[in-house]
Amino acid sequence: MIEIEKFCLDNGLRVIVHNDNSTPIVSFNLLYDVGSKDENPNRTGFAHLFEHLMFGGSANIPVFDEHLERTGGENNAFTNNDFTNYYITIPKENLETAFWLDSDRMMSLAFSKKSLDVQRNVVVEEFNQRYLNQPYGDVWLLLRPLAYTMHPYGWPTIGKNVDHIKNVTLTDVKEFFYKHYAPNNAILSVTGPVNTKEIMNLSKKWFGEIDKRPIALRNLPKEPKQLESRKLEVERDVPFNSIYKVFHMNSRKHEDFQATDLISDLLSNGKSSRLYQKLVKEHNLFSDINAYITGDIEEGLFVITGRLFKDTTFKIAEMAINNELESIKNTSIDGYELEKVKNKFESNFKFGEANPLDKAMNIAFYELLGNANEINLEVEKYREVSAEKVKAVASKIFTETNCSTLYYKAKSNGSSSAE
Amino acid sequence: MLNRKSPPTRQIPNKINITKAEEITLSNGVRLLVIDVGSEDVCRLDFNFFAGSRYQQKRIESRATLAMLTEGTAGLTSHQIAEKFDYYGSFCEHATDRDFGKVTLLSLNKYLDQSLQVLEKVIKRPSFPEKELETYRIKGKQSLIVELEKVTTLARQDFFKGLFGNTHPYGVYAEPQDYLDLQRNHLIDFHHKFITANRCTIVLSGKIGNDELNTVIKHFGESNWGAESTVLVDFPTISTPVQKKFFSLKADAVQSAIRIGRQLVDRKHPDYCGLVVLNTILGGYFGSRLMKNIREDKGYTYGISSSILTLKELCVLVIGTEVGAEFTFPALKEIYAEIDRLKVEPVSEAELDLVRNYLLGELLRSFDGAFAIADSITSLFEYNDLDYHFFEKTIETIKTITPEQLMNLANVYLRSNDLTECVAGPVSNLN
Repeated sequence: MIEIEKFCLDNGLRVIVHNDNSTPIVSFNLLYDVGSKDENPNRTGFAHLFEHLMFGGSANIPVFDEHLERTGGENNAFTNNDFTNYYITIPKENLETAFWLDSDRMMSLAFSKKSLDVQRNVVVEEFNQRYLNQPYGDVWLLLRPLAYTMHPYGWPTIGKNVDHIKNVTLTDVKEFFYKHYAPNNAILSVTGPVNTKEIMNLSKKWFGEIDKRPIALRNLPKEPKQLESRKLEVERDVPFNSIYKVFHMNSRKHEDFQATDLISDLLSNGKSSRLYQKLVKEHNLFSDINAYITGDIEEGLFVITGRLFKDTTFKIAEMAINNELESIKNTSIDGYELEKVKNKFESNFKFGEANPLDKAMNIAFYELLGNANEINLEVEKYREVSAEKVKAVASKIFTETNCSTLYYKAKSNGSSSAE
Repeated sequence: MLNRKSPPTRQIPNKINITKAEEITLSNGVRLLVIDVGSEDVCRLDFNFFAGSRYQQKRIESRATLAMLTEGTAGLTSHQIAEKFDYYGSFCEHATDRDFGKVTLLSLNKYLDQSLQVLEKVIKRPSFPEKELETYRIKGKQSLIVELEKVTTLARQDFFKGLFGNTHPYGVYAEPQDYLDLQRNHLIDFHHKFITANRCTIVLSGKIGNDELNTVIKHFGESNWGAESTVLVDFPTISTPVQKKFFSLKADAVQSAIRIGRQLVDRKHPDYCGLVVLNTILGGYFGSRLMKNIREDKGYTYGISSSILTLKELCVLVIGTEVGAEFTFPALKEIYAEIDRLKVEPVSEAELDLVRNYLLGELLRSFDGAFAIADSITSLFEYNDLDYHFFEKTIETIKTITPEQLMNLANVYLRSNDLTECVAGPVSNLN
């Protein structure tokens, strides 16, 4: 049970406090409700590039990191499809420095040309490092547009291609800032040896004078229901064939979400899971196989990825995966197995809460979903999922027409191609 | 009106409260360290064996033995073991490095006893079934082949091979074929000799009460287990590398991986703490000189860092980055320029002050939560024979080292001729 206290400033900034005296460090987590789904389809990768620019100096503070490092602090940030998250860990004595720094960059950035020029290059190298210079690195650049024809989840956070990043101008940067960065579009969570009163005082002092900004209501294009199965084959210079299957699933707040997550655990959480036991250990078809959900706030994807052994054809691999999915649809899961995946979830969740920074991030995320306190109900929601529900949800998701399949073929390995 | 131009007053903690572990010697002689910090009802149990790859007779024996512990025991199949751990929501993980073989269990406190019933068999009585070993062989081979496609892997391997020689225990690397050559009796033998009570330290961290403690003692502390092993394994002398430049071709890569570094003194050496400060200035944090120059000024890379890796016999300094292929030469030039600057130009008081505070914060962060504390204390007993004084010495050096001392260290330890340089990438950019 995480004890949470919340308040909201007049300018709309939501603040959440959790006291934890077991650590000398405060975790300070500021989440902005803007992600790559809010991007213009012709300017993708922008939310993430912008995250880099947030470290390029603000109106009153030319250099962000230095001040933090000088107080023994450490910080970083990440962007995903849904939101952008900035976090600081800092010795309790110097907590005010975090408020000073993050309130100043919320108030206004420096909008430096040099910073934009350099960070464009840095992000291009990040694109290279993560997506192009790794075996199988471009998979999500292929899968997303295959699965989504309209919705902005059709591109990855890094962007559709590097040209979008190369073409960004300072005008774009300013526009994006005032459109999305505002106290009324942010959630601050603070955990550690702190109390609500001091956090309220610091919040009012540093964030209180920032004005509310007009934030446009989010109006994302709806992804039309997929009506036929989609297939894509590519050939790359990788050592082994791989297969990827993605299915559209429900949104994060949908009542089926927890059941869907448990289905992915049934299939592949832990070595006793079905895909690993059957397809890796028993039938020796894959060297690696995984099932997971993207966990997005909007309607996300249920993903299955498998790396084939040399003698496994794509056809056999796909049939084997489909058999496992059919079995969840057709045969009711027994009580033992359901209990197992629920225990596993609970354990995962508890370990997440045992890490102070993770706890701060999770609290902010649950507030973004609607209410930070719901974090304390999550385990119960998973506990309530019934065997019938699992079967029903699987039947809804695992249909041929709801699926996009990618055959990622190894060039040197032409003999085991699809038939 | 709020003054936003100048920072709020800051304090640097004068004293850092180091959480010490409760140290217990169990009746079978095993050393147990207990760190009771935490609010959630979970715990972590680490078994650290002197069973790293330096002790193996054949390549991958150590890693394979640790990995195969959970693949079958007296009375339990691989599948049954996995079922039990998963059912109780436990995670049983293993790791090996050059010096240590480790088994880690994460468990809900309420299921610790059930989890340990399985873990006890896993550690004491593994059976290494041939069928499971065959799966391990082909899987291991396949994932190594994928790893070897990455420029970072190539540069890292070249670096350690170059530094220690490719047959030395600290420089040797497995090849895909090694997986196929693994024999069951190698693993049985390795387990018999090295996964034993007298080569083990156990660390229990999390929310620990008497129940948790007694459960651990019941399963691992009462009777002796494993051979009373007194195996002495020959450790070849470490010599200074002769060849210092290496290049691996990866024609289609869009980035080059770079590793530059050298053998360094061990953590007990009087220069060690000063070198930590020097390394931090060079590339040990986000605001470091390498990051500022090569990422934040030139945009050649997504990241560059320099770190000090700790091995039992010595440390290794390594600078690592992946840069756009076309920036390979300019990046190398800048790296050496930053190294040279440390030798001729005293670090400014402002920069040194920043680094002092950053490092003190880092030290404090290494006590952020039970598991962080467990990691810090584990590394102490592994490399400094659990001398808490090491923390105090580090703090003292961080606070008092002078720009001149740092410059002296740079002149002794960062001589260009002593550095090994490895690049892996497309050749066209390197002729």
